[in-house]
Amino acid sequence: MRQRYAFLLLLPAGILLTVFLAIPYVSVFLSAFRVPGEGTPYGDGYTLGNFARIFTDWFYIGQALNTMLIGAVTTLATLIIGLPVAFQLARPELRLRGLFYGIVLSPLLVGIVIRSYGWTILLGNNGVINRTLRGWGWIDGPMPLMYNTLGIVIALTHVFLPFMILPIMSAVQGIDPSVASAARSLGARRLSVIRRILLPLAMPGIQSGCILVFVLALSSYVTPALIGGLRVKTTAVTVVDAMIDTFQWPFGAALALTLSVLGGASVLLFARATRMKWK
Amino acid sequence: MIMGRTVLNLYCLLVYAFLLAPIFVVVGASFNAGEFLTFPPQGLSFRWYVTFFHNEVFLRAIVTSLWIASVATVFSVVIGTMAAIYYVHFAGRRKEMIRVAALSPLLLPEILTAIALLFFLYDIGIGTKTMFGLLVGHVLLTLPFVFMNVSASLEGYDTDWSMAARSLGARPFTRFRRIVLPLIKPGLIGGALFSFVISFDVFTISLLLKSIGTATLPIQLFDYLKTNYTPEAAAVSTLSIVATVSVVVIVEKVVGLKVHKF
Repeated sequence: MRQRYAFLLLLPAGILLTVFLAIPYVSVFLSAFRVPGEGTPYGDGYTLGNFARIFTDWFYIGQALNTMLIGAVTTLATLIIGLPVAFQLARPELRLRGLFYGIVLSPLLVGIVIRSYGWTILLGNNGVINRTLRGWGWIDGPMPLMYNTLGIVIALTHVFLPFMILPIMSAVQGIDPSVASAARSLGARRLSVIRRILLPLAMPGIQSGCILVFVLALSSYVTPALIGGLRVKTTAVTVVDAMIDTFQWPFGAALALTLSVLGGASVLLFARATRMKWK
Repeated sequence: MIMGRTVLNLYCLLVYAFLLAPIFVVVGASFNAGEFLTFPPQGLSFRWYVTFFHNEVFLRAIVTSLWIASVATVFSVVIGTMAAIYYVHFAGRRKEMIRVAALSPLLLPEILTAIALLFFLYDIGIGTKTMFGLLVGHVLLTLPFVFMNVSASLEGYDTDWSMAARSLGARPFTRFRRIVLPLIKPGLIGGALFSFVISFDVFTISLLLKSIGTATLPIQLFDYLKTNYTPEAAAVSTLSIVATVSVVVIVEKVVGLKVHKF
């Protein structure tokens, strides 16, 4: 193909991303300032009212902070749980590696609704965990595992664990094994090899895993909606309520925008604090 | 040192159990003979599968999901492959910019994308009366996966082969069909498969952009779970798990899969 016409290859993707992503994103900033409508999604004219409503009401501020907390704790939990697994999976000589890799990928093949549903069966007051513990006589009444922040964090940790393990694993796989053996031959202990050689080299993977999980957890809807029920709502759940149930589009847009800006700012802070190099 | 290894392996086994637990629980619950989801189950039975096969709402949702996933995948594969070819062979200095743009639907929060699209479709007068918006949303979300898979398999491709074919008189279309296509086939199939599976699972975009009366399987299941506690949902889930896993395994066995997700 002649170079001159090569741009035609990019045309469909370019049109799609411009018309249905870039332009809508520009207009959603405006839409968040729209006047609420009566019987219509929004009225004529613009107002700061939607944002004023969010920032003057402790309900929305507290909810956004709780959502951020859920995101942060979920990120930390996936990191602690996933890091050793990522290191194990990165070893090429590991037996049954294909099987374990498949297990890590398996949640991605099972829909997010189904996985969250599985957690409701496990965590419910009459769920598997509470029934089993009661059967063993360890507890008298049901432990509150569902309809609270703890349950949401447990389920989200499961849902997004693969997104932490996979980037770290590919970073670890890129480390030359001779680096570690060089350090050991120079007398470094196992722990200091991990702390001073392997972890710093795996850092890019850890950083992208953390950002990925945090952002996904912030904007996730299904899991908090099913596990939190009506008792605990995250900002994303309130956004969807505003859009669908109460038909307040501009307010929903303002709330979603606020959450996204808060999330984006946290990601930038995190990147700054961990001296991240953007690729 | 041996101790350390054992502890690590045990820890990892626990994590694998944690990853599989909710999936096993759903599959187990689907064979529960009782009226409600109880643990331990009240005997084994296939009755919830029978109920499901008579439930038109779920069957219609499955058909809708299959239809949307197929159409979205076709569009994504064509658009994404073209973009990936440009990205690898012609992009030059703008490579990084194109990569970020192609992956942007993944990097942006899905909920904000859904709201932005909803406003936009309403503004231009299309709204959610047809399936158009739903399809656009699914194509947007699946495009990055095709782009990633195809461009990864193109990176390993030597442009000399194309040149050689050209010097032997092959026209552009023949070169694409006989040289490029066979080389990117694994990436293409991997991308298509990913795109299909992702589209089958998309939730927030579907929830906001669906037209009245149409529901994809995840939406229908979610709706059902909000008010019902019978094991029928578990039967539907189990069938959907079996379907996806078998498609992935078959594709893996037939053509081999390389996952270029990250």
